[in-house]
Parts: sequence; C-alpha cells; structure tokens
Amino acid sequence: MRYKFVPYLLIITYQLTLAQSQVENSKDSILSQQLDEVIVTATRTERQLSSLPLPVTLVGKKQIIKSGTVRLNEILNEQTGIITVADESGFQGVQIQGIASDYILILIDGVPLVGRSAGNFDLSRLTVGNIKQIEVIKGPASSLYGSEALGGVINIITEKPKTEDLSGYASYRIGSFTQQDINLDLKQAFKKFRYGFFANRFSSNGYDLNEDVEGQTVNPFTNYTLNGRLYYDFNDKLSLFTSARFYDQNQDAGFTLDSIQYEGDTKEREWNTHARLDHKWTPNLTMAYELYYTNYIATELLADPISTDVLSDSDFNQKLFRPEVRGSYTFASKKENNTGLQNGTLTAGMGIQLDELDRTYFDETVNFTSQYLYAQYDFNPIEKLNIIAGARFDNHSEYNNQFSPKLALRYQLNNNLSIKGSVGYGFKAPDFRQLYFDFTNSAVGYTVLGYNVALDKLQELVELEQILSVLVTEDELDKPLEAESSIGYNLGFNLKHGRGNTEVNFFRNDFKNLIDTRIIARKINGQNVFSYMNFDEIYTTGFEINSSYKLTEELNISAGYQLLYAFDKQKKQDVADNQVFVRDAESGQSVALAQSDYFGLVNRSRHNANFKVYYDIPSASTNVNMRVLYRSKYAQYDTNGNDLIDNYDTSFIDGFVTVNVAVSKTFYSDFTLQVGANNLLDYTDNNIPTMPGIQGYLKLNYQF
Amino acid sequence: MTMTKNILAVAFLAVAFASCSNDDDSTPAEPLLTETVSNLYAPQTGGQGEPVGGEFTKFDFKTGAETTSDTDWDIAFRGTTIAVNGGVATGTTDEPTRNGDVSAAIVTGTFTSVTSAADLTFNQDSETSFAIPTGSDNGWYNYNSESFTVTAIPGKVFVFKTTEGNYVKVEFISYYEDAPAVPDPFTDTTPYYTFNYVYNPNVGETSFE
Repeated sequence: MRYKFVPYLLIITYQLTLAQSQVENSKDSILSQQLDEVIVTATRTERQLSSLPLPVTLVGKKQIIKSGTVRLNEILNEQTGIITVADESGFQGVQIQGIASDYILILIDGVPLVGRSAGNFDLSRLTVGNIKQIEVIKGPASSLYGSEALGGVINIITEKPKTEDLSGYASYRIGSFTQQDINLDLKQAFKKFRYGFFANRFSSNGYDLNEDVEGQTVNPFTNYTLNGRLYYDFNDKLSLFTSARFYDQNQDAGFTLDSIQYEGDTKEREWNTHARLDHKWTPNLTMAYELYYTNYIATELLADPISTDVLSDSDFNQKLFRPEVRGSYTFASKKENNTGLQNGTLTAGMGIQLDELDRTYFDETVNFTSQYLYAQYDFNPIEKLNIIAGARFDNHSEYNNQFSPKLALRYQLNNNLSIKGSVGYGFKAPDFRQLYFDFTNSAVGYTVLGYNVALDKLQELVELEQILSVLVTEDELDKPLEAESSIGYNLGFNLKHGRGNTEVNFFRNDFKNLIDTRIIARKINGQNVFSYMNFDEIYTTGFEINSSYKLTEELNISAGYQLLYAFDKQKKQDVADNQVFVRDAESGQSVALAQSDYFGLVNRSRHNANFKVYYDIPSASTNVNMRVLYRSKYAQYDTNGNDLIDNYDTSFIDGFVTVNVAVSKTFYSDFTLQVGANNLLDYTDNNIPTMPGIQGYLKLNYQF
Repeated sequence: MTMTKNILAVAFLAVAFASCSNDDDSTPAEPLLTETVSNLYAPQTGGQGEPVGGEFTKFDFKTGAETTSDTDWDIAFRGTTIAVNGGVATGTTDEPTRNGDVSAAIVTGTFTSVTSAADLTFNQDSETSFAIPTGSDNGWYNYNSESFTVTAIPGKVFVFKTTEGNYVKVEFISYYEDAPAVPDPFTDTTPYYTFNYVYNPNVGETSFE
C-alpha cells in the first residue's frame, strides 16, 4: 500500500514548488496575531484564537499558576465542558462533549502520548509546571491528527526560552496527605542557542476514604518528571528544536484479599524524544521535519510476603516511532487583498507511525504500521468569511483505510458577533487489546480474546475440551474489525459585549461501530468466552455556554455551563418499543421502562457548571481567586440487570459542588507565597476514589 | 407481602370455584394457580474457577414444592444454573437424570403480557446447552462485575411444559435470601431463588388468562 503515497507526494511537492515560484514575498500578519492569543493545534499553523471557526479552549500559564493546580487533570476539570472521570483503577481520564477519554488525543508540543489503561489516559501523569498553554480542540480532529481524535485534542505547549538572562523558577509546595510538589525550571536564550530544563518531583502519602475497607483508597506514590529542551537557529531560515522528557512513578500497591496482605508496587516509566527541524524556505513557505519516539512502560507485581505466592505480575510496554514532514504555504499575493479562493494557506503533511506493544496476556509483541497524509486549505473567500477544509488519509496494517474530512466556517456578522460551524469525521483504530488480548480470569473463569486471535484461541480451547458450545461462525470473525468512528457537528457564536465575551456552542456527535465485547462461546465451567465486535451506536448532544466579564481591570469573573444528553441509539429504540424492563420494588414484577426513565450513558452528567472569580490587588501584589464547580448526578453502572442506566439504578452519584480557592502574594519582587484549599466544602464519596476531602496547601515560589 | 396476600386470595377463590363445580358433569376448566416460591435454596460446590458440582435442587410445579423424587420433577437449580427434566445430559457433574419431556421457552415482556404458551419455541437441555442458557445475560440473570451482583433480568418470562404436560409461566425475582430489592453482595446470601409462577392445571391448556 505504501506506493499509493508516491503520486500524492508528487502532487503536493509540485503544487508547493509551483506556488513558490509564482508568488512574491509578502508580509504575514505575525504582529496582529501577537495582539491576540495564538494557538497552533486547530490548524497546525499559528492562528488567532478569536478567528478560529472551531470550538477551542485555551488555558494559559497565568491561570494555571494562579489557581494553584499541579497536575493536568486538576486544571482541565475546571474548564467548561471538560470533565475528568476516574475509572476503577483511579485513573483520571477526560470527557469532552460527553465523549470518553478513549476518544481524546493527548499531545505534547504536537506529538502524541501513549500508554492507556483499557483506553483511559491518566491525565494526572502530567505535571503543569512547565506548560506555556494548554490548547483543547473540541469535536473531531482526525482530519489533522488521525486516530483517537474523535472527541477532541488536548495539546500541551511548553515554553520557548526568550531572554538572554537565565530565567525560571524554583518552587516547593506542601499540602494535606503530605502531598509535596517540587519544581525547578531553567531557561536561557543565546544568539543562536536556547535551552530549557525542567524537573518536577511529586509525591503523596495517599489517603483513605473508607476505613471499613482494609488498605488505603490511594496508596503512597512518588513521581519524577524531567524535561530538557534544546533549540538551535542555524540561520534565519533553519532552526532545530529537540526535547527529551522522562517520567517515572512508583506507587505502593498493597492489597488485602481473603485476609492475605499482598505487598508490591506499580511502576510507570515514560520516555519521549522529539526532534523537529523548522525550515522557512520563503516567507510564504515553511516546512517542518519531525522525528518522535516514545516508550511507555507500566509494571505491577503483587505477592504474599510470607508464602511469596505471586498474586499479580503484569507488564505493559508500548513504543511509538513517528517521522512526519509537513509544510504550509500561503498563497497571499498582496497584503491588502488576501481574500478569494486563490489567497489561502495550504497545509499538508505526511508521516509514518510504527506502534509496538508487548504486554502480559499477549502471546507475542505486536506491531502496527500506518502511513498517513493530510492536507488542509484555510482561506477567506470574502473578507468576513473564513473557511477551512481539510482531509486526512490513513492506511493501516490492521484495519480498513480511513478517510477523514472536515469543513469549518466562521462568519463575522459585525464587530461584536461572529458565528461558526463545523462538521468533521473522527475515528479510533481498534487498539492492541481489542485485537490481541488473551486473558482468562483466574477467580471467575471467563475468557476474553482479542478479535484477531479469537479464532485460533477458540480452537485451542476446543482442543482442551473447555468449550461447551461456540456461538459464532468462522465467517463472522473473518472480516477485520472496523475502526470506531464519529461525525461531529458544532454550531455556535461568539458575542463581545462591553467588557465581556460570551461563547455558545451546540454540538452533536454520532458514533458508530463502537467496539464492545460479546459472547462468542460458552465454557464447560458455565462461564463465557468474550471477544470484541463493532455494534454500538451512540450519540452525544447538548450545548455549552461560556461567559467572561472583566468587571474592572482587577476583577475577572466567568461562568460556564454544559448541557449534555448521551444515549445509546439501539437502547433508546428498545425502550421506545417497550422491550426494556425494570422490576417494581414493591411487587418484584417486571414493568416496561418509561422512555423518560432512560438516563443515558454511564458517567455522564446532564448539567455541568462553573463559576470563577479572579481578583488582583496590585497595591498588595496579591491575587485571590475562587473556582466553584458543579456536576449533576451521574451513574456508574447498571444495577438492575437491564443493561442500561435508568432512574431506578442505585449506582448514582448525586450532584455535588466543589470549591477551590487560592491566594498568592508576591514579595521582594521575586518570591511568591501561595496558600490555597481544594475542595473547600470537604465533599467526599466512597465511590469517587480520586477525590479526598479538603486539601490545604502552602507553596513558596522563587522566580528569577 | 401484598403479593402473598394476592396469592392467597387467588388460591382461595380457586378452591372455592373448584368445590362449587364438583357437582357438574361437564368438568369445566380448573382455574389458574398463581404462586410465589420464596428462598428455594440451591447450593453448588466449587465455582470461582474450581470445578462446579453438587446435587441439583429439584422442583415440581404440580405440587408447588421442592422434591427429591427422581422422576416427578420439572426443573432443577444449582447455583445460577437451571436444568429441565427433558432432553439429554449436558455433561455437567452431578446432574439429575432426565426422564421427562419438560421443555422451556423464553419470552421478553412483562409477566402479565404473556397470556399463552401457544406458538412459542420450546427447547430442552442438550449436550451443548441448557434450555435456559447459562452465563450472564444469556438466560435468566445478569452478573454485574462492578457491583458483584446477580440480578434476575427484568422482562424475561420463562414458559415450561411440565412432566405432566401442563403449561406454567415463571418470572424469577431474586437470587438472594429474602429477595432484598437492592441486594448487598457482601452481606446477602445466595443462592436462594424467589420466583412467581402461574400454572395452568388443565393438561395441554396453553392459556394463562
């Protein structure tokens, strides 16, 4: 399949060369861009935040520092329409527009992070200590980023050194549960050479929410993050960026089962190395040549310290290598007139992705290869209208090729009001687990098989005389598993009003081919053999509103709200057809479930809201802020046997409010003292293991 | 409790009706019997990955009671597994010998919506499967791995043709002792079956109305 790329590449090269020879130099609008916040994730070019036709959330360094957050999950959870959800292991994934963590791509400086636990990406792995800004694109972005970018993309941007003097900061923070966060950040820029170095140590003694259950809710842990970055400008046109990041975490994993106290630990280790050469051929043509390698390792070992019996010994080792070349060409011929189809910016790129995973419950190391190609055209047919049209093609070794188009428009009605709309396709490749898993639960006796190995493994089980009956035909497992996909629609407006700004966005995401498990055979022991298949179709829809006011120069307030409906289409139909039942608590008899009692998908709250106040007192070099977050009730799992969440289920977590406050005071111009409390109302629930009660902290920061 | 009272009322009416009609020669149809069986204990040995074994607890719809008879039984319970007295041995250990012609049909709907056994597809136990398939979400129950709870799937009605050729419809209510509405898997004990049934005492009559 690789040869397919040759003509595409030729076309692009030809177009770029052609364009290059035709167009004269023109000044781009860097200066005007600097007047507004600039983001790169939405288009892979620098774009003014306010000019984008897509729903975007930008979290800047100031907000991160003032709010006193230390890990990525904390600061994202405070943003409208972004909710962190903990799974059984306490991993905190993110939910955007009602779409789960599995379908949200996480990037650092534009390159993807790997290492997910059953699809969930744990955002607490990432410190916010060296972040310049966090860019969040909501809705599908597979047209630029390929797999996993269905619900959105989170891109963490590190800071480029700017001054010749050594700058940076050192900080120490201590809080409840002996939580300690230590940071050192150094940056310096010489004429051609710049460097940045960052180190973070984060630790906690953990906490216990339920004393009736033996062991702690969260066990003690310590982790380290190191990041070194080197920048070198060969000349005006050619510059090099390199970055190496290292993360290491060790957590106690003591565990009591059948009155045996197992001891052990879980370890996580991650490497990211990233090199990029930026080449400015002409003011209109820039290219980037990028190499990226990452390795994520997680291991767990649990054993009985007396008998040395091993309870659990698992490892997970994922590697990703990704070279990519991309370029951007601006066709603008004249500075004054940059409208029209012929005066746009073409961005195109291609790359190869080599993915490898070796883990427990896999027979052997498995490899994926994919090649991809994308292009996007960003132009203003008339002055007030911006259009971005793009598409990406992914050719993958394990599943069907994917073509992901996207179209986005923004129209400036007047100085204060603009409307924007977009429609795009997103997909997620079947992951390694869904294809290669071979797992038998030793306690209960069921088996889960990856789709690609299901036939062979089933045959082995038949030969071992463990199978009672097989429920699928060979044909059913012959066709490759399809990628999960979605089409996302966004429509909204932005209104400037005096000192305020309001953004509204309506969204709808239609998912199909969601992969879930089904029973493929029954075992002699009465248990089932499961494998994966495409069958679920779901949708998420709702709207988001975000309003901010600068009441005075010193006082900023903002409020946000998201309304969300998330349902399984088939189940909704079954409920409408009176095919879903609940048991009447009085009589024990089944009654058909009313449509109004179908609550929707797990972990989805109908309402989410936030209210924030940031108040600066310049005369006292002090900042005070308070963030109030509300999440309405949501269900964790079905409890009444009808395989969906209805109002009669008993696993609901009631709506709750969390309040986070922080006060910072700068003194001697270089020192900042911060005192704060997260979860000031001391809200806890045994079923939210990631949320301890009130957490106070004290931080001293020295910036230089 | 309301349930039990209703059953008593129906049973009383049934007896009254039956005694009135005794004088008559035309032998009109006997009325339906509506019953609740509570806490039918059906333990198994092994499980949790170990081989499963132990005697099945047998039940006879005609007497409405548990039985040790080797022949006069209709269905039998062990853990979450339900066998019928019809078909052939499934191969599981300690299963009772099938010497009747009992068969089972599964219908989706409320208990009252199942008004007849006519036109249903009946199955018997076989070498490869039980008439009521085993495993979570296959037959009568759902096992939730997050709450560790066995729940009788609501809206599943099981219609049996008994050893004597009578039809009976059954709705399983609970797997836990005293059928708590929200069982606690750590304190409530299993396996104690609670189920409702409606039995047509007229041989071959398919109506449940």
